[in-house]
Amino acid sequence: MKYLGIEPKRPKVGVFDFTGCEGCELQLANKEETVPAFLQAIEVVDFREISSTSSDDYEVALIEGAITRDDEIRRLKEIRKHAKLLVALGSCACFGGVNRLKNGYDLDAVNQEVYGTEPKETLPTQAVKEVVSVDLEIPGCPVDKAEVERIVQHLIWDVPYQFPAYPVCFECKQRYTTCVFELGQLCLGPIARGGCHAPCPAGGSGCWGCRGPAADPNLEEFLQIAKDRGFKKREIKERLSFYGGFEDMP
Amino acid sequence: MTSLFRPYYIIQESEMAQPLDYNRRSRLKHVDQVFRSEIINIIPLTDMEKLFQLRILDGAERERFSFLPGQFVMVEVPGYGEIPISISSSPSHKGYIELCIRRAGVVTGILHKTRRGAVVGLRGPFGTHFPIERMRGNHILLIAGGLGLAPLRAPILNVIENRTDFHDVHILYGTRQPDMLLFNYQYEEWNRISDINLKVIVEQGDESWTGPVGLITDLLKKIRLEPLETYAIICGPPVMFKFVCAHLQREGIPMDRMFVSLERRMHCGMGKCCRCNIGSTYTCLSGPVFDYWTVMNLKEAI
Amino acid sequence: MLFKVLGKKEFTTFIELLLNDTEVIAPKQVGVDTSGKPLHQYLPVQAFTEIDLSYETTEYSAKTYFLPFRENLSTCSFLDMVWDRQIKYRVQPRAIIGLHACDINALLKLDKVLAGDRFPSPYYISRRKNTFIVGIDHDPCEGGFCQAVGADVVTHGFDLYLTDLEDRYFVAINSERGFNVLQRVKTREPTARDNNDYLDVRRRIAGQFKPLEVHNLPNLMDIEFESKVWKKWADKCLSCGSCAMVCPTCYCYGIEERVSMDNAESAKVKQLYSCQFLDFAMVAGGHNFRPDRETRLKYRYYHQHRGFVEAYEEPLCVGCYRCGRVCLAGINPTDIIGDLQTEYQE
Repeated sequence: MKYLGIEPKRPKVGVFDFTGCEGCELQLANKEETVPAFLQAIEVVDFREISSTSSDDYEVALIEGAITRDDEIRRLKEIRKHAKLLVALGSCACFGGVNRLKNGYDLDAVNQEVYGTEPKETLPTQAVKEVVSVDLEIPGCPVDKAEVERIVQHLIWDVPYQFPAYPVCFECKQRYTTCVFELGQLCLGPIARGGCHAPCPAGGSGCWGCRGPAADPNLEEFLQIAKDRGFKKREIKERLSFYGGFEDMP
Repeated sequence: MTSLFRPYYIIQESEMAQPLDYNRRSRLKHVDQVFRSEIINIIPLTDMEKLFQLRILDGAERERFSFLPGQFVMVEVPGYGEIPISISSSPSHKGYIELCIRRAGVVTGILHKTRRGAVVGLRGPFGTHFPIERMRGNHILLIAGGLGLAPLRAPILNVIENRTDFHDVHILYGTRQPDMLLFNYQYEEWNRISDINLKVIVEQGDESWTGPVGLITDLLKKIRLEPLETYAIICGPPVMFKFVCAHLQREGIPMDRMFVSLERRMHCGMGKCCRCNIGSTYTCLSGPVFDYWTVMNLKEAI
Repeated sequence: MLFKVLGKKEFTTFIELLLNDTEVIAPKQVGVDTSGKPLHQYLPVQAFTEIDLSYETTEYSAKTYFLPFRENLSTCSFLDMVWDRQIKYRVQPRAIIGLHACDINALLKLDKVLAGDRFPSPYYISRRKNTFIVGIDHDPCEGGFCQAVGADVVTHGFDLYLTDLEDRYFVAINSERGFNVLQRVKTREPTARDNNDYLDVRRRIAGQFKPLEVHNLPNLMDIEFESKVWKKWADKCLSCGSCAMVCPTCYCYGIEERVSMDNAESAKVKQLYSCQFLDFAMVAGGHNFRPDRETRLKYRYYHQHRGFVEAYEEPLCVGCYRCGRVCLAGINPTDIIGDLQTEYQE
């Protein structure tokens, strides 16, 4: 910060969308009260959602969406060459997201189900980190703008950003939510990464794990708990695979 | 109808209006207020450590600020966070305090980037101190490993300033490599002017190193002790003071004549956040200076 | 202690008096669990009918009204090369109705840490002194072991304390504030019958607790330091921190700096934390003093049943059993203490 004699960096940022709903990009333009300051702090050189300019001159690349086509792989590798810092933005970019569900099925059948007689080119869904190296991950469906802001401030000023180690339960408790397990619902809260402020359980539906696993999750015990509470194996598996964040886990 | 409850305004308490003084720990005060302090000099010591000289801006606050060797302050860098740092200067020095800071995390990282003239916050002093008063008339062993010389420097300077109060004074210091030695520009002064037996050892020498190579305990073996008339202060990583204390204990120094300084994560310095608990003892209140018996008696300490 | 008797109708008047005057927090039913049991929380209420004083327990303690989960400790404004700092304390008066003895005892324990003789916290004291507390006696809750830890009876720490004598309340008065407020409604002096009925109720309550062996617990904790019991329970622990959040006495926290996007100011925010989290004792550079679940779980119990006893001659735990109830993995103090007690008997 200025009082320390440290001048801010104003990173040039490019935002790029791949296979996804663009909801995370929309989040970047969200939170009206701070949008001007946000756009002041960074220099957006490529961002289809808010501007028509396009450039290869960026230091930070924010990647939204999963990778599902050959041309996407080529484009992503090209972006990686330009970017000093590559950030996976949102659950799709971090884990493959909902798009990853199709990997559990026959690709042609999926194609036909969606596009009927006019199939489109498609590959098994990959997370960004499966294609190129990723410097920073901001999971969430969609991402939380406040968290994006903190990360941007971290890049500009080196102010601390601590990726929460704790699970969703912690923040759920902090907002006085009645545990949805008590209400007979399944919830990934005990093993999913917090930092989202637990909006889903507060809204009455259990956590779906859009931010992936918490640090050192106790999956074994969680599966036992879910089983003891009468949830079916299929139901639990479906929940764990929904955003693709728990795929690497045994 | 008049309202049932009159609001209680804590800031109207007379003690809240009194000047901030962390040495009066039982008094009600704005515990999150800081002394705004200016970095007056930054002295690089090694690649990893710098010595910061800080002066409290307000003259009256500066005058009132006092500490004892072994105590620490919380250094707050607004926007970045707050960290506990042991004071490395002499308690008799009123103008400024010195803090030796290793670059390790976010706050220390930003301090290493900042420049002379920047203003940061100080809270403190906090914690227990080395009982220098009680050590008078005895032989003194001051033993440090690595960054341990930072907290040890306060008692070293304190002992030097009162050199006549003590019998033999030994300073033993060890690091891994010669380029990790802290305050090496002062060894000559300590050794020669102050009649102190200073010995430095490294675990791995380099081309320029002519001193002894080995562990700190190697230096200890060469010192003839009068165990019942000796006090020892040991600062360094747990594995180091464990070996040193075990050695001294075998030599016959009672455990309550050996003092160590522990470090832990801290967020408050005031026995509230629990982050520094060793077992259930607060390092910030009951420590950081403990006698060796207490450390032995604390589960999880070493 | 002064005692008065308050009719049920007058009690309604009394609560309405409070409701018209100040923010009132009281037990309120928020739903039912899967077995049909009502769920309660201490929440702000607007009408007498929202309050359910017959509640068994609450999912959360009332701690948050004294130690909020998140609290802004100070704000720092940046003006180019200098900065300035402001601190605010909460002063709005508030009344909490219907706290049980365990929760009032919890406040007394927090008082020792936060309002005692070592760096008293103005944030806490300001909230504590601005809160009017009306407690109430109740039959033991399921799992509660407050009697074993001496927290089933409370003699101070509140303004008024009610004991339900069916058609009337027996009221203990512990503050001038409580005395004055009670003057606004019709009360009467207790008769011998009132006293008798009150003592009968107290005896009835005291006789219903299930025993829990806590004899010599601090020393037992040391002897059992390496016990298998810790691993057995820690293997189940989700490290989710729920136990600490619902606990009426857990007070540990972390500090976070929040810089505004326009860089004009920075807030120093305190957030209650849990000693069960992986990074609780991690220091800069990455060293973790408590890297495994077993150590972390053990130290939660250590703090409550050994460390606090060492410092204040009493355990930190008040036996409310909220941690046991909230834990999805079924980790609970009764079973852990039981395991520790019996390990050497087997």
